[in-house]
Amino acid sequence: MNRYEPVAALGRGRSPVYRMDPRSKIAAAAALGVVTLKGGPYVLALASLGVAAMVVSARLSFRRLYGASKPALPFICIIFLLHLLFTEGSPLLNIALGPLKVTAVGFTEGGLLAWRFALLLQAGALLTMTTPLPELTSGIERLLRPIRVKGISSQDLALMVSLALRFLPTLQEEMESLKEAQLARGADFAAKGLRGRVRALSGLALPLSLAVFRRCDHLVEAMYARGYDGGPRTGLKGDLTLSAGDRIVIILSVAAGIACFVL
Amino acid sequence: MISIEELLYRYAEDSTLALDGISLAIGEGEHVALVGPNGCGKTTLVKHLNGLLVPLAGNVIIDGMNTRDRTRLAEIRRRVGMIFQNPDNQIVGMTLEEDVAFGPGNLRLPPVEIRDRVDKALAAVGLAPYRDRHPHTLSGGEKQLLALAGILAMDPRYTVLDEPTSSLDPAARSKVLAMMTGLKLRGITIIHATHTMEDAASADRVVVMDKGRIVADGAPSSIFGRVEWLKDLGLAPPPIAELLWRLRERGVAIEPGAFTIEEAAEALAQLSGSSDGCVATGGGSMATSCIAPEDRDWTHE
Repeated sequence: MNRYEPVAALGRGRSPVYRMDPRSKIAAAAALGVVTLKGGPYVLALASLGVAAMVVSARLSFRRLYGASKPALPFICIIFLLHLLFTEGSPLLNIALGPLKVTAVGFTEGGLLAWRFALLLQAGALLTMTTPLPELTSGIERLLRPIRVKGISSQDLALMVSLALRFLPTLQEEMESLKEAQLARGADFAAKGLRGRVRALSGLALPLSLAVFRRCDHLVEAMYARGYDGGPRTGLKGDLTLSAGDRIVIILSVAAGIACFVL
Repeated sequence: MISIEELLYRYAEDSTLALDGISLAIGEGEHVALVGPNGCGKTTLVKHLNGLLVPLAGNVIIDGMNTRDRTRLAEIRRRVGMIFQNPDNQIVGMTLEEDVAFGPGNLRLPPVEIRDRVDKALAAVGLAPYRDRHPHTLSGGEKQLLALAGILAMDPRYTVLDEPTSSLDPAARSKVLAMMTGLKLRGITIIHATHTMEDAASADRVVVMDKGRIVADGAPSSIFGRVEWLKDLGLAPPPIAELLWRLRERGVAIEPGAFTIEEAAEALAQLSGSSDGCVATGGGSMATSCIAPEDRDWTHE
């Protein structure tokens, strides 16, 4: 089964969340990010309820969300433990491991931070799970349009993003086959210790980079052959249009973001 | 009409000529197979047809437009669609429909028109049900069909295919070849570079290249009959052409020039309506089944 099958395509049309303009979803996710990082426990609780409501209305399963954020779980745990053990304050429990102690402040601080990260992750997962990748890139393209970098249009930036996403699985496949070829000639990728593993992986880096460059040459040629000329392009969908609902979401998001800084 | 006039090309100042005085005219609706051993200049020639390479000397003119004229390049590339050997390196979209939309998008067509073209092109190659999928999930043959759809969406007059089947398994290969027949029915000119003689057999015209020159140009029957000459060039004639050639060498009065199993069966059937009961039945498939073991006998000598 393919890991890269766009999940969002599956739920298209099932719920209003999927039909929202990508820009309003990006704005909402960004606002949620600001709110979670700046807000206190009550705000966090409110935001969590909001996210949960979105998950329910998008008919996403919580198990899926958990699966998407699983890789970040160790990171969140480490953040929590670091705060728990290294924050100064009155000890909460009478366990002292040298300079380490568990404090009440540490517990709440660590807990809040872990909560923040978890919520951010859920917001990101919610965005990518309810927005097909092409829509996401066209949203990014539209949002970047006012920012003109010399010689690079926002369309080119969006094209770069979509090419990167397009070639991720291809390059991963290439890496696997390089790995197999080297295993067949006695390379040891299961080597114990950091040094052995770094040595084994560095043997892959050069051939993989060469393969990437070769692919790039061919890809550029194929793009020119299909009429690419660096100029403006049109796409399957017309320019994005904001519905009344989208406008409300954007206004609320911006307001929430500003409120966090002002209050 | 594509006309190539006295085309010279070399990749570096001091290297030998990759193309050494190529002159060739290809009319609309033709199906031309471009064959030759590896390194004969097929790919180099093919890349001149849409201005990816510009001649060192000579001209390549597509419907009156010279590929040297950069202002006409966009129109030339719309008319001359190109498919490369490795399907993975020509897919740019995150989904099938996004990929097919790339070409029309570069033509700056309105979205409604693009949607229409994408739908038709995907349907034409039979990939419409997978429009939302990631191209990575397709097989090699399907990726080539997707590349073909990407070109169809640009409404081309000519399609240039550079060894499109060389990395495919037999089933995928025959699918891609069938699609080429479909192109022909739409009146689209096909220029197919290949070193598989069987792939070339379905063309109207075979152009043989060697060392940057055109060494033969004619109907498949006139080319594939010259078995010894093809072998000297390092090309393998279609097995059936070789069989007939060997039969002739042995003194069987059979016409050369048949290079598909059906044609060869016909030729053999006409040869003798008598002694061999199997051949006498005359049906293509029956005759074929009789040829198969014989084929083995001849080659084992």
